[in-house]
Amino acid sequence: MGNFFRGMIRASSFFRKEIFEILRQPRLVATLVLGPFLILFIFGIGYRNQARALRTLFVTQPNSTLAQDIQQNKQSMGSWLIYAGVTGDQKEALDRLNRGQIDLVIVEPGDAYNTIKNNQQAIFTLYHHEIDPARVSFIDYFGQVYVNALNQLVLRSFAVQGQKDAVNLHTSLQEAHQNVSAMRQAVQSGDETLAQQKQQGLSSNVDAVSQAVGASLGLLDGMQQTKGVNGGNADPAQSTLTDLRQNTNQLNNSNSADKAERLARLDKIDKDITDLDGQLAEFQSIAPSIIVSPFHSETKSVANVQPSISDFFAPAVLALLLQHLAVTFAALSIVRERNVGTMELFRVSPLSAAEALFGKYISYMLFGGVIAAILSALLAFGLHVPMLGNWWYFALVIAAVLFTSLGIGFAISIVSQTDSQAVQYSMIILLASVFFSGFIMSLDMLLPPVRVISWLLPTTYGTLLLRDIALRGADPNWLLLGGLAAIGLVLMLISWRLMRRLISSSQ
Amino acid sequence: MTLASPSEPSQLIPDPIKDSVISAKHLTKKFAGETAVQDVSFDVPRSSIFGFIGPSGSGKTTTIRLLTGVYTPTDGQVIVLDRNPAQFSQNERAHLGYMPQLFVLYPNLTVWENLNFAASLYGMGLFRGKRLKGALRFVELYEHRWKLARNISGGMLRRLSLAATLVHDPQLIFLDEPTAGIDPVLRRKFWDHFRELKNQGRTIFVTTQYVSEADNCDLVGVQNNGKLLLVDTPRGLRHHAYGGDMVDFRTAQPFDFQAENMLRSLPFVRAKTVRTGSDSMRIIVDRASTATPELMEWAQQQNIRVKAVEEYTPSFEDVFVELVRPEVSNG
Repeated sequence: MGNFFRGMIRASSFFRKEIFEILRQPRLVATLVLGPFLILFIFGIGYRNQARALRTLFVTQPNSTLAQDIQQNKQSMGSWLIYAGVTGDQKEALDRLNRGQIDLVIVEPGDAYNTIKNNQQAIFTLYHHEIDPARVSFIDYFGQVYVNALNQLVLRSFAVQGQKDAVNLHTSLQEAHQNVSAMRQAVQSGDETLAQQKQQGLSSNVDAVSQAVGASLGLLDGMQQTKGVNGGNADPAQSTLTDLRQNTNQLNNSNSADKAERLARLDKIDKDITDLDGQLAEFQSIAPSIIVSPFHSETKSVANVQPSISDFFAPAVLALLLQHLAVTFAALSIVRERNVGTMELFRVSPLSAAEALFGKYISYMLFGGVIAAILSALLAFGLHVPMLGNWWYFALVIAAVLFTSLGIGFAISIVSQTDSQAVQYSMIILLASVFFSGFIMSLDMLLPPVRVISWLLPTTYGTLLLRDIALRGADPNWLLLGGLAAIGLVLMLISWRLMRRLISSSQ
Repeated sequence: MTLASPSEPSQLIPDPIKDSVISAKHLTKKFAGETAVQDVSFDVPRSSIFGFIGPSGSGKTTTIRLLTGVYTPTDGQVIVLDRNPAQFSQNERAHLGYMPQLFVLYPNLTVWENLNFAASLYGMGLFRGKRLKGALRFVELYEHRWKLARNISGGMLRRLSLAATLVHDPQLIFLDEPTAGIDPVLRRKFWDHFRELKNQGRTIFVTTQYVSEADNCDLVGVQNNGKLLLVDTPRGLRHHAYGGDMVDFRTAQPFDFQAENMLRSLPFVRAKTVRTGSDSMRIIVDRASTATPELMEWAQQQNIRVKAVEEYTPSFEDVFVELVRPEVSNG
């Protein structure tokens, strides 16, 4: 019998031994399979994709205009806000906040009118009692949305007023148009007296329009500029009004004997009046809510499916669980051999480090593979997590995650002196994976130097690759997969070197 | 002649041992400055049983680990099967069998699976079932082969360890206290099997705390406080311990002080002779076989009616106490 065959027999002894030892612990196997499935199942059922509504108390003078506005607009924040009343006593409001009776106190700015008049923003202060940074961020966001809604209310009242003013402007413009027509006829018939009279009427109409049109035209121009429909003209309505005034002034200064010039000028004035009237009519036709908030966003994904939150987390849970399983099993494996005393037996026997490691790798790869297959089937067919990609690619990524994780585990096991030390190291790897692998938050949220830790963890690669395959239907990113395998290979070599020192050399 | 100490040569072992399987020269092992084994030298002939006897903590296990290559000596040299054991190849290691002092197999595996694991470790072929059955039958565990190791008694675990040590039919067998926790009947069976293995040409290096087991060995090393006091045959050890053979001399009537003095003054009688009763004495002589007729002749000359003259074989417990006594009183 050749040395190679004998080596295979020696390696197979570990394969059988590890598998038998694991199978003698059916509860462990059941926990490994059912645990993550149940966690995802319950998470999928119980997760509410919305923020908790905040019980909110407003601090302002109860009979003030703002208090009335708050009452009227308390529905504007939708399900985010539970209206808890208005009070004039800030101290009492903060006491209630400290006692946990409410979640948020919004204090109105004391003298908003004068603050704004002094060219400063009036500040709403939001008091809360949260320590969770995510909740604090939400309250910051809530404050911005709330103030934005209030600002829109103010702008809306401006827009409504502007549209009311536009009705009067239309009347003035119609009068101006009539005066232009009458003056044209008077100039053509040579009735200079009537022409002068109508010219004065026209000047009065244009002055009135110029004085009254400001706010409406500003809103109109602002809207057109934002929409980008003005063809390069910065303020089209204002420009038309300026033309109208210039043409009117030039008409007033023109030589009464130059009949042709006066008629040409009247044509231009008439055109300006028509343009301006048309623009005002357009302004009036737009709802005030659209004028103050002309844009709205809608998100549409080009991905093949829109996964639920549990669908999204399923590949990450699978990767994290497999990594933890492999790291823990491998970490305990060699340290237990050492503690039980079998290492002494190995040293005397013909067993080599490579044979021992090979046997252990194969057994744990097989065991992890079976667990992964059962879990994947449960996720796909039990929880209906989408599987858009190729199952073979999925299996390949899982094999790479297991291989690399085993390398980490064996390295831990060889440097650990006790079971508890090995478990501690494994837990540190798990904790690091939860924070740095993109399991909870995207890698983009970490500083680039910190991401080095992320790229040392198999879960990082596993999560990205499994999500791409299962949820996008993409082929694996071969660079990522190669990187993961390379780390696994390096760890295997390190483990082999350490194991060799442990088994082969004497003390 | 095999020496415990160069200054105390034994007369009973041929010197040198030409075909030694194990040769230890001035072995010393220290752990963090603490000396576990000090200047130990001995040779183990091929096809013999070498017993290594000593109390707990005397350095027996450390010595066995030095011989198997688990430890490297701090000082001195060890040659096993013509090689430094730390440099054994895989094939050379396959000729060794090692039974550690404690059970080191797996509690969650059955007796059969544990033995199968041990057989695989030594690269035994796939058709090894017959061999496994034989090993289990020998240690009387075959009926228990499907029991988990964690569910069998301490004695059964020792038997399983022994089966795991012998299953691959090694040429050189190291047994660290193999009979600890084994009932006397099975212990005798073990020793019968060890002798059978020896007769088949195997060499066995065995440590034990049961001093009485020394009688089963061809050579015995007595270890105490890390030092090897003596290596000799069992008979040689007794001789060495008391300064000669022991003969119990009993007369029909009590014999007087004058007769006792005359007896003590005989040329083949040693000084350690003691009176054990009014009519009996335990006499230390050079050789019991030649001293017995001479004693009979002397008694006849002195008109002393002899009831019995017989060689007395002291227990090895007594021998061991005698051997370590100077060591204890010195140190």
